[in-house]
Amino acid sequence: MTQPVLSVQDLTVEFVTRRATLRALDKISFDIARGEVLGVVGESGAGKSVTGSAIIGLIDPPGRIAGGKVVLSGERVDNLSPEEMRRVRGKRIGMIFQDPLTSLNPLYRVGEQLIETIQTHTDLNAADARKRAIALLDEVGIPAPERRIDGYPHEFSGGMRQRVVIALALCAEPEFIIADEPTTALDVSVQAQIISLIKRLCKERGTSVMLVTHDMGVIAETADRVAVMYAGRVAEIGPVRDVIKEPLHPYTQGLMGAIPSITGDAERLVQIPGSMPRLSSIPSGCAFNPRCSKVFARCHVDRPELIDVGGHQVACHLYDQAKVPSGKTEIAA
Amino acid sequence: MTTAPLPTPKPPGRFARFWDSDLIYSFRSSPITVVASIMALLLVLAAVFAPLIAPYDPFDPSSLDLSDGFSRPMQPNEITGKVFWLGSDGQGRDIFSAILYGSRVSLIVGAASVLFSLVLGVGLGLVAGYVGGRTEALIMRVADIQLSFPAILVALLVFGVARGLIAPAAQEQMTLLVLVIAIGLSNWAQYARTVRGSTLVEKNKVYVDAARLIGLKAWPVMLKHVLPNVAGPVLVIATINLALAVIEEATLSFLGVGMPPTQPSLGTLIRFGQQYLFSGEWWILLFPSLVLILFALSINLFGDWLRDALNPKLR
Amino acid sequence: MSEKAFVQVRDLKRVFDVSRPWLNRVLENAPKQYLKAVDGVSFDIRKGETFALVGESGSGKSTVARMVVGLLHPSGGTVSIDGVSMSDQAASAERQRLRKRIQMIFQDPYASLNPRWRVGRIIAEPIRAFGIIQGDAAIETRVGELLSLVGLHPDDGKKFPHEFSGGQRQRIAIARALASNAEFIVCDEPTSALDVSVQAQILNLMRDLQEKFGLTYLFISHNLAVVRHMATRIGVMYLGRLVEVSDGKQLFAAPRHPYTRMLLDAVPDLAMIGKAREGVKGEIPNPINPPSGCTFHPRCPLVFDRCRIENPPVIDGVACHAVNAGRAAA
Repeated sequence: MTQPVLSVQDLTVEFVTRRATLRALDKISFDIARGEVLGVVGESGAGKSVTGSAIIGLIDPPGRIAGGKVVLSGERVDNLSPEEMRRVRGKRIGMIFQDPLTSLNPLYRVGEQLIETIQTHTDLNAADARKRAIALLDEVGIPAPERRIDGYPHEFSGGMRQRVVIALALCAEPEFIIADEPTTALDVSVQAQIISLIKRLCKERGTSVMLVTHDMGVIAETADRVAVMYAGRVAEIGPVRDVIKEPLHPYTQGLMGAIPSITGDAERLVQIPGSMPRLSSIPSGCAFNPRCSKVFARCHVDRPELIDVGGHQVACHLYDQAKVPSGKTEIAA
Repeated sequence: MTTAPLPTPKPPGRFARFWDSDLIYSFRSSPITVVASIMALLLVLAAVFAPLIAPYDPFDPSSLDLSDGFSRPMQPNEITGKVFWLGSDGQGRDIFSAILYGSRVSLIVGAASVLFSLVLGVGLGLVAGYVGGRTEALIMRVADIQLSFPAILVALLVFGVARGLIAPAAQEQMTLLVLVIAIGLSNWAQYARTVRGSTLVEKNKVYVDAARLIGLKAWPVMLKHVLPNVAGPVLVIATINLALAVIEEATLSFLGVGMPPTQPSLGTLIRFGQQYLFSGEWWILLFPSLVLILFALSINLFGDWLRDALNPKLR
Repeated sequence: MSEKAFVQVRDLKRVFDVSRPWLNRVLENAPKQYLKAVDGVSFDIRKGETFALVGESGSGKSTVARMVVGLLHPSGGTVSIDGVSMSDQAASAERQRLRKRIQMIFQDPYASLNPRWRVGRIIAEPIRAFGIIQGDAAIETRVGELLSLVGLHPDDGKKFPHEFSGGQRQRIAIARALASNAEFIVCDEPTSALDVSVQAQILNLMRDLQEKFGLTYLFISHNLAVVRHMATRIGVMYLGRLVEVSDGKQLFAAPRHPYTRMLLDAVPDLAMIGKAREGVKGEIPNPINPPSGCTFHPRCPLVFDRCRIENPPVIDGVACHAVNAGRAAA
């Protein structure tokens, strides 16, 4: 297997408060191959955004990376100095955030921001950088880029602004892009445009993307593989088709049944009782055990590790055949 | 459908929870604040219990002995041999006792004027923010005008007008009330501005809509729903304004338009004291001034902490 | 259909003054600006059904909701509920009686509960305001019942809102809406601030309560999948106008208005794994300065001359010249 663009190994992030040390990420591991879109999905509090921040080294105190490593194309980046990390961000890792308004400086023309970013990361002169910026705007689907490049962010609509942010992320031709809820602030009709734009760019440029979102529909259409997070851990990870069609983890199963569909015919939605635990009270053993319908003794004690089950990985004792205490009938349900 | 109740440990007692709360923790972990509040508390207690603590009654003319005059602090008087801790003034009045009684007057004026401006400012700010339109414009322009005058000027103005209105015989008794109103009127605008701002934010939250939906009229919504949610910043301003009001009262008294010599406040004491400064009796000026400074400083330090502690952005 | 209508909305309009402040207008010589948030919306809701209004941002769906419950005065048109007009000044006593039969559930469960009040007091407020039950003990019992009804513990009334999660807060808001024995509940994006697993809990709860008490819902949402799951009938809004009204399943099986079709195509869905699509072209125009004629015409694939001039009326549930002229396979 070729070297992954991004490899996250046993990454642990902790927030130290005066009462306790809260574990926002608990030994999560995944790889992203070249040109691949990995969807990271989870409900609020699952740790999906913290994962993105940890990879780009933007965990603010009192948070800190307490263990594990982040490897970008074979080079460890989690232990770089803030100055070195700043060069990696933007140059090698691009970022797209939820709210395009906050990612763009309202006081500068769109072109100025693009050109500044291009010149920071390449040796192009001003004229070439401008040409490059216009080409980028054209590539992300902004009509009449020669004219629009001199506009201010407020002159762009929400969807157009998000396109500019994507152009900004592409400036330095990064090998890897983190997109944190890139379509959440947009209307449905615009959302579809942005999704297909991200997919197209990924394919054409061979850029890898980590797409963080709570919207399983967006994941289904965009991602190649998906990691389902729960309470700071990866519950299940695998090809998007497998995870959606045949989810293994009881949490994923519940989640899929809970999503109302415009095609399905469920009269009643599946509901998972309770809600995501707060970081201060994550249950022992499997973090999902108080809400799980298939819970058994071991779930309260042992934390399940990710194991391979038919092409994708799941962290659930139900599938740990060798160690299931009393038959594996429980899986059938 | 049900939410599985997690087995929770036995809830700690009321005091333990209070002691462990974020507010108290932030208080406990700021030594300056703790010292400042102990200081302020001691000064307040001393003022409240002045009659019990003071060794002399400085305003009982029969107890005064002119031969006790100008005793130096902690030294026996040359004639009578009496010892006054902080010395005595020209009439043989004990400075320590005078300070205790004086801070009492200062505090009463300060607290009452803060209360007055708070009620006025919060009321007007709430109405301005909630009702909006012309009412708001009128109230806020008046506040702007008030804020463009130095507070002490407004107080002097009110004081002057009151002097003209009240019969000279009643003036001495009315001074305290006039001072409270004068200082109160010079400080309300700050409350009004702050409360209007928070009210504009709160009235757009949907819990206010929910209250309107059940047919509540404007006043109940303002008092029961909006007011409790805009109270935090008001508390901070009130704390810091207490120090300001005490200083303002001292300034007025120092200028001779404050408390009469028969009911001296700290400011009055300072005014007397400065007459003796150049003749060598420094203690008559120094000790009342020190108490005033200490009080203002400790209240301000406490107020600063309170502002930071109540500000969710800094937490 | 109109005889049985429980809620009747006729030609509802709302205009907002979005002009700059007076001084700025004078200095910059700018004219007054108005935003037609809702422009001639009519629909009926039958007793016991869920009528959904769906649309993207700026479609005016929330403004309609606020006018229906009476939080906002219409600039034109009428809302009448059970035969009583909400805007008629003369019937004010009757309207006050009506008020307790109408309640609302809001989008943001973090802002809809007064953070300084205990939950018990929040739920008891409508009971006290309408004088439904007298006596503190009786009210407390009733609050306990309501809390159990929405899946919380009766003791939860002693806690403050911040001690609850988003989903639990939304349950509290539902309990408050039921406290006055409301029959008609306007739900403004009740689950869009919630996570999917919690959303499922709340949607199921709302359906159970509807069955149990015969509630009528006006359900506002931007999420087509949620609307499909909840609604008996659906109205699609675009830039302040109702462009299509249809039976729930019908709308998804055979959408008629070109906008509805585009919207349905744009929704990301689990069944669409790996499929590419371009979705809708263009974006929603600025509502302050909407396109002439049919406001959807700049984005419409079926556009023809008439669309640019004339605003299409709603005929047989669709407001589209092309559909009405038989140019589109409807």
